[in-house]
Amino acid sequence: MTDIRTIAVGFDGSPDSEVALVWALDLAAPLGARVVAVHARGLLSRLEGWSSSVLESTVTRLAREHGVSVGDVSVCVEEGDACSVLVRCSRPPVDADLLVVGSRGDGKHPGLLLGSTSLELAQRAEVALVIVPSAHDVVSP
Amino acid sequence: MLIVNELTENAAHEDPGHPERPERVGAVAAGISSLHLGGDVVSVAPHRATRAELARVHDGIYLDELGAYCYAGGGNLDEDTYATYDSWAIAQFAAGAGLAVVDELTRRGDGVGFVAVRPPGHHALADRAMGFCLLNNVAVSAAALADRGERVLIVDWDVHHGNGTQSMFWNDPRVLYVSTHQWPLFPGTGVAQEVGGLDAVDRTINIPVPPGATGDTLARALDEVAAPVIDEFDPTWVLVSAGYDAHRADPMGDLLLTSGDFAMLARRVREVVPAPGRLALFLEGGYNLEALRTSVAATLGALLDAPFDAAAPSAGGAGGDVAARVREQRRVALDQARAAREREEDE
Ligand SMILES: [Zn+2]
Repeated sequence: MTDIRTIAVGFDGSPDSEVALVWALDLAAPLGARVVAVHARGLLSRLEGWSSSVLESTVTRLAREHGVSVGDVSVCVEEGDACSVLVRCSRPPVDADLLVVGSRGDGKHPGLLLGSTSLELAQRAEVALVIVPSAHDVVSP
Repeated sequence: MLIVNELTENAAHEDPGHPERPERVGAVAAGISSLHLGGDVVSVAPHRATRAELARVHDGIYLDELGAYCYAGGGNLDEDTYATYDSWAIAQFAAGAGLAVVDELTRRGDGVGFVAVRPPGHHALADRAMGFCLLNNVAVSAAALADRGERVLIVDWDVHHGNGTQSMFWNDPRVLYVSTHQWPLFPGTGVAQEVGGLDAVDRTINIPVPPGATGDTLARALDEVAAPVIDEFDPTWVLVSAGYDAHRADPMGDLLLTSGDFAMLARRVREVVPAPGRLALFLEGGYNLEALRTSVAATLGALLDAPFDAAAPSAGGAGGDVAARVREQRRVALDQARAAREREEDE
């Protein structure tokens, strides 16, 4: 089986991306893998007065809450659209061997690939991809 | 003479508050009318680009899906890019406008073309919308020209790297793609080491410049890095991805260009146009309306020898060593690419 040493998680600060990050942190702990929370800076992000310190503190808090050593979690901010940035994360310097994203209810038109980052990524990813359902997608038995 | 598409703001392709907005075309129109060209402006009616014309650079499945997505009501294609019900038709007309302007230039054998359309195109990939772009307008025209046997130079001076255009012609020796852009910046591609695929080594030239760079840096890099390759390529047509977001007043980038710098860039481009009627510019970015108006006027004034008002060109900014660095990075990458091609030929 593939040795999983680096897990890259798509992280934009949304609740769905927090769910994905927590899932990745839970997986990383027993594997001894490092987790990279990847934030893609799109064209519009520079107009939104966005700051990386908020992301960093959220990631640190979630790591602590899940008993993961903060040193094993890092934040990586890359220019580009979310899909391309995550695909690039499987290459150096991040070298992720697993990508994790939230499912985001972003596919507005079911049946169409367009408009859904996770489905686009499923088609383009060069390493294994996990799509974590958002909290409200999970129906209790 | 200026050959321009029928200018329309395309108000039905709009997302309230989004910077890629209908008023951009109005700013271009104001820039053109400030030149008082009178009867020297010819306006051509676009046709809707056909599936065959689009399929030269786009995947059929993407075209089907984009049409279906729009007709289902549209929405956000990614974090930056929207589509409405009408966007599919509007994008087809935008791509068709480029073809119509190129055809009119060909028919007349004279004039300079300006394709002022939205949505822009240079981030659109073969199979994906990206960065406000749905269909790659300049690439659709470049591919049409290449299929007629032309050697096409594309100069892309938008502040962003034209990742879509680069990838469409990555392995196509008929097209030389030259881009100046801020780096790092969206979309994260366009380093100097990207020099083209094995069938088109040295047919991609990327000149990334740091935030705070001025026009003199772009000029020197174009002269020292791009000009010798352009000479050797000997283009029969020149298309420009004319984005105006490298202007210092534009909110999308951190370069310090002025309207006068776009006149300077336009004059450099004019030097490599092989004959009258072989130059067309395509609007890409440019989100500060006043900067867009003055910069379009400066560009076209310089190309048409019409009087225009422009700020002084900028100089002395960051990245004074860009030309030397890009040349060295390209030298190493070209050596590697040529060695890889030889290995492939040996096998
Ligand atoms: Zn741009």
